[in-house]
Amino acid sequence: MRKTVQALSLLLFTAFFALATYRLPDWFPADLYLRIDPLLGLNALLASREMIGRVLWSLILIGATLAVGRFFCAYVCPLGAAIDGFDFLLFRKVGRAVLRTDSTLRRWKYVLLFLFLATAATGVSLVYLMDPIALLTRFYTFFLYPLLITIINLLLDLLRPLFQGLGWATLAHLHYPQPVYYMMAVTLMIFGAVIAFNRLAPRFWCRYLCPLGALLSLISPLGVFRRRVSPECNRCMVCREGCPMGAIGEDPFKTGSADCIQCRECAGICPQKAISFPASFSGVGEYSGPDLSRRGFVYSVGGGLTLGFLSLRTPFTSLQGKRQLIRPPGALPETAFLRTCIRCGECMKSCVTNTLQPSLWESGFSGLWTPKLELRMAACEPNCNVCGKVCPTQAIRSLSMEEKTHAKIGTAVLRKETCLVWAQNKMCLICDEICPYNAIVFRPVEGYRRPVVIASRCNGCGYCEQRCPVRGESAIVVAPDGEIRLAEGSYIREAKKLQLEFKLDPGDDKYLLEESGFKVEQGSKEEKSVPADKPISRKPKGFL
Amino acid sequence: MIGDSGIISRRQFIITTAAGVAIGLAGYPPFLRAAEEVDLAVISGEPAAATRKALEVVGGVARFMKKGQRVIIKPNMSFARTPDFAATTHPQVVVAVAQACIDAGAREVLVLDHTLQRAELCLERAGIRDACRSLPGVHVLALQDRKFFREIRIPQGKVLDRVEVLTDLLDNAVLINVPVAKSHSTTGVSLGLKGLMGLIWDRESFHFQFNINQGIADLATVIKPQLTILDATRAMVSGGPGGPGDVKKPNLIIAGADPVAVDSYGVGIVPWYGRNLKGRQVEHLLAAHQRGLGKIDVEKLRIYKGTV
Repeated sequence: MRKTVQALSLLLFTAFFALATYRLPDWFPADLYLRIDPLLGLNALLASREMIGRVLWSLILIGATLAVGRFFCAYVCPLGAAIDGFDFLLFRKVGRAVLRTDSTLRRWKYVLLFLFLATAATGVSLVYLMDPIALLTRFYTFFLYPLLITIINLLLDLLRPLFQGLGWATLAHLHYPQPVYYMMAVTLMIFGAVIAFNRLAPRFWCRYLCPLGALLSLISPLGVFRRRVSPECNRCMVCREGCPMGAIGEDPFKTGSADCIQCRECAGICPQKAISFPASFSGVGEYSGPDLSRRGFVYSVGGGLTLGFLSLRTPFTSLQGKRQLIRPPGALPETAFLRTCIRCGECMKSCVTNTLQPSLWESGFSGLWTPKLELRMAACEPNCNVCGKVCPTQAIRSLSMEEKTHAKIGTAVLRKETCLVWAQNKMCLICDEICPYNAIVFRPVEGYRRPVVIASRCNGCGYCEQRCPVRGESAIVVAPDGEIRLAEGSYIREAKKLQLEFKLDPGDDKYLLEESGFKVEQGSKEEKSVPADKPISRKPKGFL
Repeated sequence: MIGDSGIISRRQFIITTAAGVAIGLAGYPPFLRAAEEVDLAVISGEPAAATRKALEVVGGVARFMKKGQRVIIKPNMSFARTPDFAATTHPQVVVAVAQACIDAGAREVLVLDHTLQRAELCLERAGIRDACRSLPGVHVLALQDRKFFREIRIPQGKVLDRVEVLTDLLDNAVLINVPVAKSHSTTGVSLGLKGLMGLIWDRESFHFQFNINQGIADLATVIKPQLTILDATRAMVSGGPGGPGDVKKPNLIIAGADPVAVDSYGVGIVPWYGRNLKGRQVEHLLAAHQRGLGKIDVEKLRIYKGTV
């Protein structure tokens, strides 16, 4: 029963992950698992010092844990399911004795929990490193999803001759764009380590390291269902050996209620059928809080504050907003953004063009894995607003398409030294051709028509930077200058106030003639019947 | 008129037959118009009806293909724009052509383009895939991977001697080009010939390595659509090719076998960038004409004009 529920939960997690694409309907919470995670929520609230609506979803899990106990780890947690699955595949036949350091290790998760919360209190979001849901979402985004696409494309290539032979045109032409990401290897290594630790003890991660498990175990002993052992018990200790969490001590009648995840493994394997999990409403009972000494608590809080100090008091903090880093449209102002983002990778998964990439050291330790746009590789698609929709902490605000269009992420800057037209008098107009906002115009300079960026029309989508045919660095680069980052309020109003105009409508605009690509030199043949209201001096490009 | 004997005399037979033929000719039935060779059909009207009429006037799709043959329709669906931007071919025009091909016995109709923006978004926004969904045997595909292209030589190439084209073109298929009429910031206009660049892999080099207008003419020597149907139901007369730009509504469908003639006529139907121009003034059209790829002077063309 439990395994079925676990498998279903993992499947549900996978399905929600798969649904996070630009087609996502506004109402669908593709980031559900991340939303109900109270640790991520608490971390974001502490670090940002702001109320975040979506975090309220985690009350569901808190309430359920208060009522039932720490069932989440055994039944719902997709990382728990993955750990159990790999455990079955890899370590089923490995004899694992109880670790001598068991009781010390058990404290680690509390140390980590308080360490992360203390760091969050300094305004640094760090819990993402070890939060199971964020960790698994990252693994899915940066490794599993690209791998899956590679495998599908390989299969399609393999079967292509067959599809062609059968005349199945659509399948014969099917190919999925391959997503690629920085930090793939690091993400894989972290997940690999989580699995590999199981070699030492079953659910090593959940027992000793998981800070979400630690948080839940603080409130789980209040739950209704508790393990009860009847006098039929003959102390055979089968339950102690079989407990995946090691929650049963030397005395089989006692249960470490903080560690018990209600998986009921013990009840199933007890030869005497002496174990049951009845509902009891007899109050708190034996509440065994975290077995963390006062000294341990002080150490973890001290460590957390130190980490916060180390990540904040660096030149990276002073240089915030002065670096070439383009954030997704709708991203909160940089400081609030770094504090609120939980680095789950959901925005990067759903990004339709794959331009959203995890940062390495661009904004220091406190900016690891935060999303940035890699515009030389791909542009930000004007018809897509999914990154905000799937952001569980709203570090990227969920915006309507129109609002998103006005959430300017930067301004294109022409580099005249390398631009083919400016530097070499070549006839290149790719940036103008691709610009969805007509923000690039051609003006006669030194006897030749040359591209110029109209900053008030450019919203930084980056199509020009991506398409620029200059080898190496693009001759037109989107810089963060002019970006609009609002913690609240309308981007449309802000853009209007700044007299910006991002036109995506066909409309009836009459664009100025000089901007339509006319050649400088006067043509030899004179044209007839020129509309009177449009004085013509030059011919459009491509006409003789 | 019938003689006493009740048998039709030779004279009577000839007279009645001639009269019948005369009456028929006076009525100017479609089959006669089809048989009469025209260079261009220029039909004004709603997209679907005008397209059907234009096809009929040029002699029907059957004239350009054999039964059981594969047909490739090349619309412009390179941008993730809805049809009202006039950056992409009107879906109903594509549907009318695809339906005609199926009716004429095409084994399979592939509607193909190498899109500039993400394939999936282009297919979604341009509306052509949705419009063709109900047509069995018609597949609307946007291809963005190099594996679907193969290199061919351009024996008469001036600036290009090789080009990677869609492999599907090399498979003895009939090619019907269904471009939209729009302005283009480099080539002046983007009509049928410019649209051929949607069938090749590397387009960037056209913009900076050599003269794009000669490149298009080179391309036209190896990619030869049997039929070109220019969708000028809307025309983006500035801001092209991606838009947004000034959209005019000429409400015209221009069809013909001569790709240069179709484009040349298309240049004259609306003022581009606010000025009236001729086909000869478009550099890539002139280049193609000078290579002997088609007629450029509209005055010398036999044109059927009609309204539906």
